[in-house]
Amino acid sequence: MQFTLFFQQLVNGLAIGSVYAIFALGYTLIFSILGIINFAHGAVFTLGAYFTYTLIGAKFGFNGLLAQSQLPFGLPFPLAVLGGAALAGLVGVIIERLAFRPLRARGADPLLTLVSSLGVAVALVNFIQYLVGAEAYSYPSSAFGGLPPSVNFGTPESPLIVRTVQIIIFVVSMLILVVLTYLINSTRTGKALRAVAEDATTSSLLGINTDRLIWITFFLSGFVGGIAGTLVGLSVTITGPYFGIAFGLKGLAVIVLGGLGSIPGAVLGGLVIGVAESLVPASAIGYKEAVAFAILFVILLVRPQGLLGRTLIQKV
Amino acid sequence: MAEFITTYGFLIVSMVFAAMLALSLYLPLMTGQLSLASPGFYALGGYIAAVMSTKVFPPTPQGEIFPLVYLLIEMLVAAVASALLAVLIGIPALRLRGIYLALATIAFVEVVRVLSLNLEITGKAIGIFGIPQPFLNKFEYMWIAAPMLILSTWFVYRLERSRVGRAFAALREDELAATAMGVNPTYNKVLSFTMGAVLAGVVGAVSAHFLNTWNARQGTFDAAILYLAFVIIGGSRTYLGPVLGGLLLTALPEVLRALAGVEFLPAFVAQFLVDGRLIIYGLLIALATIFFPQGLITPTMLKRLARRGT
Amino acid sequence: MQTILKIDRLTRAFGGLVAVDQVSFEVQEGEIFGLIGPNGAGKTTLFNLITGLTPPTSGKQFFLGEDLTAARPHIIATKGIARTFQNIRLFGNLSALENVMVAQHVHTRSGVLSGVLGTPTARREQQQSRDYAMELLRLVHLDDRAEAQARNFSYGDQRRLEIARALALRPKLLLLDEPGAGMNSNEKAGLSQFIRDIRAQFNLTVVLIEHHVPLVMGLCDRIAVLNFGQLIALGVPSAVQNDPAVVEAYLGE
Repeated sequence: MQFTLFFQQLVNGLAIGSVYAIFALGYTLIFSILGIINFAHGAVFTLGAYFTYTLIGAKFGFNGLLAQSQLPFGLPFPLAVLGGAALAGLVGVIIERLAFRPLRARGADPLLTLVSSLGVAVALVNFIQYLVGAEAYSYPSSAFGGLPPSVNFGTPESPLIVRTVQIIIFVVSMLILVVLTYLINSTRTGKALRAVAEDATTSSLLGINTDRLIWITFFLSGFVGGIAGTLVGLSVTITGPYFGIAFGLKGLAVIVLGGLGSIPGAVLGGLVIGVAESLVPASAIGYKEAVAFAILFVILLVRPQGLLGRTLIQKV
Repeated sequence: MAEFITTYGFLIVSMVFAAMLALSLYLPLMTGQLSLASPGFYALGGYIAAVMSTKVFPPTPQGEIFPLVYLLIEMLVAAVASALLAVLIGIPALRLRGIYLALATIAFVEVVRVLSLNLEITGKAIGIFGIPQPFLNKFEYMWIAAPMLILSTWFVYRLERSRVGRAFAALREDELAATAMGVNPTYNKVLSFTMGAVLAGVVGAVSAHFLNTWNARQGTFDAAILYLAFVIIGGSRTYLGPVLGGLLLTALPEVLRALAGVEFLPAFVAQFLVDGRLIIYGLLIALATIFFPQGLITPTMLKRLARRGT
Repeated sequence: MQTILKIDRLTRAFGGLVAVDQVSFEVQEGEIFGLIGPNGAGKTTLFNLITGLTPPTSGKQFFLGEDLTAARPHIIATKGIARTFQNIRLFGNLSALENVMVAQHVHTRSGVLSGVLGTPTARREQQQSRDYAMELLRLVHLDDRAEAQARNFSYGDQRRLEIARALALRPKLLLLDEPGAGMNSNEKAGLSQFIRDIRAQFNLTVVLIEHHVPLVMGLCDRIAVLNFGQLIALGVPSAVQNDPAVVEAYLGE
């Protein structure tokens, strides 16, 4: 009895942890190549969810410029997810062009980029609110097609219920991890990306087109973020324009835990934090939100390079 | 004038608080530490004032205002508590640099927030409300806010020109070379971090009265980033930068709203200035970093002005 | 003569690379002591060990008889060891004057409050500190540009400013890391005289790293030669110059 309860919590933890993981992958991709954190990633994540909502042809609420409007057509859900992700990726590229590249061209302080990406995040979030209002949106239940909403892996007496959404989220995030790892380790572009991450100046001297690689990275980051946004929207509804911000903060804890710039680290960090949160006993449930940050604080003091990160040696 | 004060009194005092909070972030930055811990200490100071004024001090009789001396005692307690906590956190955390320190301080802010959401004494999710008013209206808070801002700005101005301030600047410029010249990095970093914490805590104590209610939404990560924007956009290399950044950026959304009232503006532009003012705000922050990478005020600019003045 | 610095089997390894390997020597008070060796011989690492910027893997160091092996850099500076850096590390955004004043930190007292309030003591101290800094800037001929930002100085001026900054610490032992880098032979001759002058004026002991062999030979009382982290020769210039191990280290391969 106790045992299935534990398993139930573990499954819940893995499901939410894999969302943290794909969210954090978006940060990690950009950090590994530019060494900066893109604070607008939470907004891109939110946009992905809204794009998908638009593409399935659903109707908007009563507020905002687009009140009561909808597309004249509706895409099937899986296609809409991909379309939404692609659009989110595109927004990522635009953000790079507007907020990152001008600063990079000048060799500006990374702090400036942080503030600039924050400005973009504020603008995007409020733009969403301007267009479609602050209300929550949820995808129609028909999104899964004919799949049941949940499956019981236990017995009727001691249930172990896994929601279909949780399974989808877990599978999709592992799939994204595998595809990204393949892209980075085995393709020409991936190798060039790693070269740029190692040393941008030398790479550009070697004839690698750094700007092109950087926008590809932003596209990938936005794409993955867009998928994550939709998946979370599917799981808990899109709670409004600020939907992605809470994840943005937890995503920071995840990438530090895993090791800044490490892709497997982001996934491991996400799963660890997700599971740790789900194991908080019901009596202390209010403190659940602090788990990620307590872990973050401790790991920074004990092992700042994270679980899978590399040590950096300071040169005198 | 009276109408201006009723309309903008709240905004003006908020601007002054923002300028001080930006200074509280600037203080640790003087030793080169990017700390985003200010909202945590701001929240702590606010809770101290809220708890003391509603639960410790005798209730203010109907029709009377909250005694100013109580407020000063609260500010003092907030300062001491913030200082103690800052030293406690600072000593282990300030070994970290750059983005790692920023993240550790964000973790601190979040832990404070979650604690205040769960503790009985901080009123859990509801917070503490009905905090008594030491002044008759919001604008009168300037009696305390303005001297605080002048004092803290003067303090930082003088600090930058003193022995300790030079040691701070040396640490910011090149920590290794500074230590080789005899500057104790840990001591000075903890000192600057603690001074920032005290300022944020004291502002929090006054702010709790000013806002009348205090809850977990007061010290958030978003606030931390906003203060950082004040400093970076105002100018992170002189004491005037954060002050100006805090004043201007806090006023900006309201200025945009007021601009909508200009007569000859087309209706759709006016409407956008009201509904979309936070979109413009965000874009302006992004643009400012691109067009004013040194911030609006730079030390060179100040020197040039000083020379023209003499 | 008294031993001012004693290095005892000092070793520092970075991963598999042993940058400084069981190096022992003593420096006598008042000496000008040269440290030479091919690139990568471990000279700068040795400076970093002496100043505490890099902790040693093993071995000990004593300064005026006191064990400073585990001391932190600012403590070592306080004890009286100052240095310059091979790749100049000035406080670029501070003025030349401020750069020199910072190094008087350990000889001044005023705290946050007295500094901010400008108490008479703090003001007097500030004035003394400024006067002394100006004196040092005059010594290196930079007094006319005291208010200019250090990063706007030419390479040679930056090197001299770094020496002035190191002197402001009132050291007993001054470590100069390639003070003559980038100078022509005329300037190097001037540098030799300058180093002798400051030794006399400030009662210094000087340890210097230098590549230019004639300068070292003419200036130093004794010379230590490092190669691949090991001490291969130690003695007066004429003896070191003819040491077969040294000749091989420089001309070998």
